Amino acid sequence: MNGSYTGVLLASLCAMAAANAQSMFRADATHSGRYAGPSPRQFHRVKWKFPTGDRVMSSPVFKDNVIYFGGDDGNVYAVDAETGRQIWKRTTNGPVPATPAIVDGTVYIGSYDGKFYALDARTGALKWRFTTEGERRFEAKGLHGMQPKNQTIADPFDVFLSSPVVANGSVYFGSGDGNLYALDSATGDMRWKFKTGDVVHASPALADGVLFFGSWDSYFYAVDATTGKEKWRFHAGEDPLIHNQVGFQSSPAVANGVVYTGCRDANLYALDAASGKEKWRFNTELSWVITSPAVADGKVFFATSDSSLYHVVDANSGKPVVRQQGKAYMFSSPAIAGDVAFIGVLNGILEARDVKTGELLWDFQVDTSKQNKGWVLTADRKFNVPFLYHSNWREAPILANDQQIRIGGVFSSPLVVNGVVYFGSADGYVYALE
Amino acid sequence: MPGALLRLLAIVVFAAALPCRGEDVISGRWEGTAHIPDSDLNVIVDLAQENGAWIGSIIIPGLDVKGTPLTDITVKAPDVSFSVKGTVGIQLKLQLDENGTMTGNFEQAGNRALTALQKTGPPQVERPPRNTPVAKELEGEWKGDYQMLGYARHVSIKFTNRGADGAAAEFVIVGRRTNNLPVDLVIQEGDLVSVDSDEIGITFEGRLRDGKLSGAVRQGAIETPLVLQRGK
Repeated sequence: MNGSYTGVLLASLCAMAAANAQSMFRADATHSGRYAGPSPRQFHRVKWKFPTGDRVMSSPVFKDNVIYFGGDDGNVYAVDAETGRQIWKRTTNGPVPATPAIVDGTVYIGSYDGKFYALDARTGALKWRFTTEGERRFEAKGLHGMQPKNQTIADPFDVFLSSPVVANGSVYFGSGDGNLYALDSATGDMRWKFKTGDVVHASPALADGVLFFGSWDSYFYAVDATTGKEKWRFHAGEDPLIHNQVGFQSSPAVANGVVYTGCRDANLYALDAASGKEKWRFNTELSWVITSPAVADGKVFFATSDSSLYHVVDANSGKPVVRQQGKAYMFSSPAIAGDVAFIGVLNGILEARDVKTGELLWDFQVDTSKQNKGWVLTADRKFNVPFLYHSNWREAPILANDQQIRIGGVFSSPLVVNGVVYFGSADGYVYALE
Repeated sequence: MPGALLRLLAIVVFAAALPCRGEDVISGRWEGTAHIPDSDLNVIVDLAQENGAWIGSIIIPGLDVKGTPLTDITVKAPDVSFSVKGTVGIQLKLQLDENGTMTGNFEQAGNRALTALQKTGPPQVERPPRNTPVAKELEGEWKGDYQMLGYARHVSIKFTNRGADGAAAEFVIVGRRTNNLPVDLVIQEGDLVSVDSDEIGITFEGRLRDGKLSGAVRQGAIETPLVLQRGK
């Protein structure tokens, strides 16, 4: 009797943990990217698709049968996970390419309007709002070789906002003003802020009372979650010439005392969580690592941008385990559910790969990608780069980038709940596949 | 009998003239549109015959293409096809119809769009720039290093004069791997020297002074200083 009671208790605790592990960016506060429950090894159908007014870069999260996400149309959405019907939307004054965290009936999320919102998860009603020093994108002179080289240009690839992590009565998030903020999660009062040298759009991970995050100033930081005091910082690569190979856009994952993070300097780093000392780095030969790594079963899963490679490496050594050539850039972060890894691709495709081999099990292409307006893609679904980026002057590269995104790129990181895969697309829809 | 012979001769002459007349018709400036989904492209093609061979160039304002030479030109009236080499890589396969319109496919990266071109005037074929000879002091191998995107590249350029064909250059960049760049153009104007690999999109431009070639290597819009010295 006692044993069966303990069993029931354990089962319900596990279920609660699994449910909580779907209610913030990358599943949980450590950003493991691992989701409990069944996982579709085959594609059967589109369960539903939910239209918004603009691209969806945000990653859906799940709580109590409701999917929450932000839209670049300025809204925060709550959608019935089963039917895809809208429950509520709350309008902000700017795009919302961040992923919400749902804790104790509250939705926490930031907007490009420079404000951070706490909303009632049931109704979308405003609980409180905090004003940062203002959002902005990473910018630099001659960025990526764009011309004129003496002119400051905002980075069109800086597509996400920092997603919050919530724990112990505090909510933590980064901002384009260069700060990492800690607010009282009940009142929105600021507890502390930590200043870095540039934009913080990576999302902090939290483990053992320490926040881990990178900034576009080329440093990766560990900060005490209670006091906001720096514990250590790690200096990654710089690129004074065109500012292409610099900055942390990837959000870290923490597992077994090790912090894993991608960097635009073309490395995936494994850092000792206690000291910040580099344990190993995996170099991707000039290709950004924007994806936030997933960590599961002693392996780290991530992907690259220009080289479009899907990698699995050993978490202890960084030695390659799996390397699969993809078709296009990957900014989306892999979600590991059962024996399947899901990842979005910027050519408008969601891929399901075998966890062990990395081989493609199935993929799903959104309609705008199939239409291939303006020949954004080649016939074999790669980016048609020379056709799109034919000039570095004026707005040409920015417009090309926008055209590329509007093919329906899947920047959003997939969420897997009860065998259903949820993700957003730059075609303006959130999809539920099973 | 003479009548029959004359008739036969007339038929043979007429039949032989057909392709010639068709090919005459094809010489000219052709303008039209490639119907790419949601993004029509204006296309202007100049085709002409020179010493019995076809030459041509193309303008595509939407792709920053102006006066790029046509290659692989095949004219077998009513069929016309040609390529545009370079980073974009385009092929046109067209057919002249009875209304004087050339219709067919505009192909790029495996994609295919319907295209219709109409003759708007005489050809204005742009001649590609030609390699110049280089000064004796420039001949031979030059070496140098530069940094781009965080790591060093070693460069060597070897100039050779080829008489009436101007100079040729071997352009090698060694980074993580060795890249032998196909060179399209070598030009020396006074002490200014440029070596261009259009296919790869890399150019070296420098000034020959005091036994050094001082300039920059440009890859796309990224420009990095580079000083080349005599190879040992």
